[in-house]
Amino acid sequence: MSGAGLLLAAALFFPLVLVICCLSARFRARALAVVVIAPLPALAAAVLVPEGRFAFFPAPFRLTLVLDQPGAILLGGAALLWSAAGAYAASLMARDPAASRFAIWWLLTLAGSLGLFIVGDVVNFYLLFTLASLSAYGLIIHEQSASAHRAGVIYVGLALLGEALLLIALVMLSATHPDANPQIRSVVADLPASAMRDGTLALFIIGFALKMGLVPLHVWLPLAHPAAPTPASAVLSGVVVKAGVIGLIRFLPFEAGAPLWGSVLIGVGLVTAYYGVIVGITQPRAKTVLAYSTVSQMGLLAVLLGIGLDTADPAVTNLTAYYAVHHTLVKGALFLGVGILATTGGRRLRLALLLTAVLALSLGGMPLTSGALAKLATKPLFGYGWLAGAMTLAGAGSTALMLHFLLILRRDTAGNPAGSPALGQLLPWLVVVAAAFLIPWSLYPAVSGETVPGLLQSEALWKVTWPMLLGAVAMLFVHRLPQRLGAIPEGDIIVLAQAAQPLARRFSDRIGGIDAHFRRWPVAGFVLIALAILFGGVLMLQA
Amino acid sequence: MTPLVHATTPGGFLLVLAVILPVCAVLAILACGPRSAARIALATFAAGFAVAIAIATELVSSGKALSYVVGAWQPPLGIALRADGLSGAMLVMTALVVVAVGLFAHIQHGLQTDTGGGRAQTTFWVMLLALWSALNAVFVGEDLFNLYVALELLTFAAVPLVCLDGRAETVTAALRYLLFALIGSLLYLLGAGLIYGQYGTLDLLALAQLGRRDPALAVALALMIVGLLAKAALFPLHLWLPPAHAGAPAPASAVLSALVIKAPVFLILRLVLDVAPPQAAATAGQMLAVLGAASILFCSVMALRQARLKLMIAYSTVAQIGYLFIVFPLAAGSADLPPWGTIAWTGGALQLVSHALAKAAMFLAAGVVAEAFGHDRIADLGGFGRVLPISAAAFGLAGLSLMGIPPSGGFVAKCLLLTAAVIQGNPWLAATILAGGVLAGAYVFRVIDKALAVPTVPIVARCAVPRRLECAALALAIAAVLIGFVPLRPFGFLQIGRDGLNMAWAP
Repeated sequence: MSGAGLLLAAALFFPLVLVICCLSARFRARALAVVVIAPLPALAAAVLVPEGRFAFFPAPFRLTLVLDQPGAILLGGAALLWSAAGAYAASLMARDPAASRFAIWWLLTLAGSLGLFIVGDVVNFYLLFTLASLSAYGLIIHEQSASAHRAGVIYVGLALLGEALLLIALVMLSATHPDANPQIRSVVADLPASAMRDGTLALFIIGFALKMGLVPLHVWLPLAHPAAPTPASAVLSGVVVKAGVIGLIRFLPFEAGAPLWGSVLIGVGLVTAYYGVIVGITQPRAKTVLAYSTVSQMGLLAVLLGIGLDTADPAVTNLTAYYAVHHTLVKGALFLGVGILATTGGRRLRLALLLTAVLALSLGGMPLTSGALAKLATKPLFGYGWLAGAMTLAGAGSTALMLHFLLILRRDTAGNPAGSPALGQLLPWLVVVAAAFLIPWSLYPAVSGETVPGLLQSEALWKVTWPMLLGAVAMLFVHRLPQRLGAIPEGDIIVLAQAAQPLARRFSDRIGGIDAHFRRWPVAGFVLIALAILFGGVLMLQA
Repeated sequence: MTPLVHATTPGGFLLVLAVILPVCAVLAILACGPRSAARIALATFAAGFAVAIAIATELVSSGKALSYVVGAWQPPLGIALRADGLSGAMLVMTALVVVAVGLFAHIQHGLQTDTGGGRAQTTFWVMLLALWSALNAVFVGEDLFNLYVALELLTFAAVPLVCLDGRAETVTAALRYLLFALIGSLLYLLGAGLIYGQYGTLDLLALAQLGRRDPALAVALALMIVGLLAKAALFPLHLWLPPAHAGAPAPASAVLSALVIKAPVFLILRLVLDVAPPQAAATAGQMLAVLGAASILFCSVMALRQARLKLMIAYSTVAQIGYLFIVFPLAAGSADLPPWGTIAWTGGALQLVSHALAKAAMFLAAGVVAEAFGHDRIADLGGFGRVLPISAAAFGLAGLSLMGIPPSGGFVAKCLLLTAAVIQGNPWLAATILAGGVLAGAYVFRVIDKALAVPTVPIVARCAVPRRLECAALALAIAAVLIGFVPLRPFGFLQIGRDGLNMAWAP
């Protein structure tokens, strides 16, 4: 195996080896200190391994790892955030008695979510998807509060549903393939000719939409992400939701296109983008606002992918990955920033707030930030029709939501006593902040095919500035609305689902009643004889 | 066509050994007295395990079924024993579970300081060995009446295991089990009698070559299948299973749930595939699949409702048995592909084996939990993962297999069954498999959630549980996970020795 292959393998297996090391109690006690190095092989692979290299492991593993451009972009950003958030967690939770347990869940989620970006075969994709999904449960419930538990239960319920949908979609995708564990690329190329094409695509979209948090399958996200400890919120919102994005990138047939499903994705994405903003703006907690902002941003990514599917344009996957890595770094930095600001006071607070404000407005597309780059790089896709207008309006909405977030932060931190955060937390945050600015700049020419100086022209600047002004004006009005805060509970429509609980309980009681009935002697005896007569009769008719 | 006759193959004597070795051990225990019971039993475990492995190696190396004709008397006068690939897999699985459970029981008995448990312990060893012999006899039997005897021996060995502790409620459960199983045996015997009266033979191979269709065979098959269903506790005939399996001591529950109910399922498989004419087999398969699907959905919801851990696992058994019955229509072969060449056949066999390992692991882990805390109410188990990390891990790994999450045997099994359902265009069965997986996820998660919880008042163990007791469950759970590494395609081993029966399918 070549050096590139070894590095890819290390990206996946190094965190898993660390998990195995945790079987030793001595290692386990210090496990949280090593989580910072766990994603480093992945980071190195993203930077050093040339595109298109792969590693293949023969039976019984039958694992293929492959690095392409969208995978490399996402892998690099994700690995960086995992590492920085790991360092933050090590400092934050140094005295937490349950730190070793947290570290194990952390490493498992990390291995799954990073592996997803490089895995090339169907079965192991499902395995890693499951690993990332289910291990995240341990991160969500770590604080053991009642709300964390509720969030965890809802999360696992929907995650299991998503697993089931994904499993049947994968089986439908590869059922007719001669190889039992085919390469994703080859089965997806066969998909347009498949008789079950529409069903498969629908299941994929629903399954991955659940992971991404597209409306109306987003209900777990605003509950789960804020419930976790701050560094875990950062990776959940920054990286783990991208499992859905990479899933759609891998399994939708962008070469052949599917206009119907492209339109569906565009529609769902737009609804999600607006819905996240509207509900988010009523939320009184900073972390919940950020979670709704994630929902909204995932909607924008869905629109991008929908356009690619609609127009059969494989290049969209690169742009989507670019937009996604911008969101990964910015959202990760914002979540960590919430933690930093909570422990900062006095003069430093103003500096930290300023930095957070720039980051937050970057999501709305503030000029010269990664947000502006992402918006400019993807702008040509929307054309000049209504879609371009709708996306611009969504950008304005993001700005308004982020202004709301900043106002909450100012309110929350107003009474902070003078002080500064621990260096072990401040440094990782600054690293992510710096990466959020630098990485999108360095990738821009390769992804968009345009030069950097073109970005600095006044026309380009104005293109991203006026939606922000629109958002700011909108916020001026919204800010005055009475009883806005807390008008919609966290998780919004989950409340409706909970209203159906008595119904489910009645159904379950009904089942219990039927069971008790069947387990009475006279009934069981009667059923036995009836079955014998039924079988005998039917078989005799055949004879 | 030349009629196929049984002929003793090299290594055929191993089948006899597999059946009589445990019986000899029972006799030895009766002769030597209770003091040496554990020692004799442990020695037999080692020998029996070696025999099972030897049979499997012989099957692999020769690529043909093993046969033994007792006393060189050909059926219908004599008795033949025969092990094909599927039987070989069953024998190895049985040996694995019995050995693990036996070790668990041995360690557990060592913990009991009071001398009053001595009689129950001896009974346990005797019954476990008798049960093993009966299971092996079912898996290698070729004669309907012999199989009846083996099934009866199985029932009579299993019933005392249920009421080993002698509490009133377990005795009631055992009686319930005994009565219902006897009604099932009665129906089976009636069917076997009909067949003997009509054809003058009880040999499965001979029956397979008859290729006749007449009402008598139809009625006989119906009676036998329904009788076996009662013993397999498929919904809606599961009245006896939850109290019996939940009330028994942990090692007994493990063998009951993992192995004992698999014997009638195995026989139904043989009747439907080997004896029934093709059309009848297809119809019976459809009806069994309906019952199986109902079992999966209904009993998974029931498992979700249970407040006690062992009852939950017992209901889960009824649900998981359902998967074995939906294999019938999915494994329906075609002209050029016999049923045992299909992926559904492999999927069904893997489901059978991985469920046995996972369920035994779960019951053992639940037994450790009940031993440590003195109860198994799920609601009051918050934080048990801290006190018993190995048991919680065993439960979780076994749960992965039940839920069908990779990598595990359950995942491969469900994946193969789903693929078969998709290729056949059978959306209802595919949806049932998926729904069963989600429901299994829900009830396993309920327990895992409790294991990981940190309650305000920490839970404390009533007594210390040694690590080695917990390890038996973990070993079985890991075995269930390791099965997940078999390739996702029809598995050659399971097809060994099936070719000879092809003519049952010739029109």
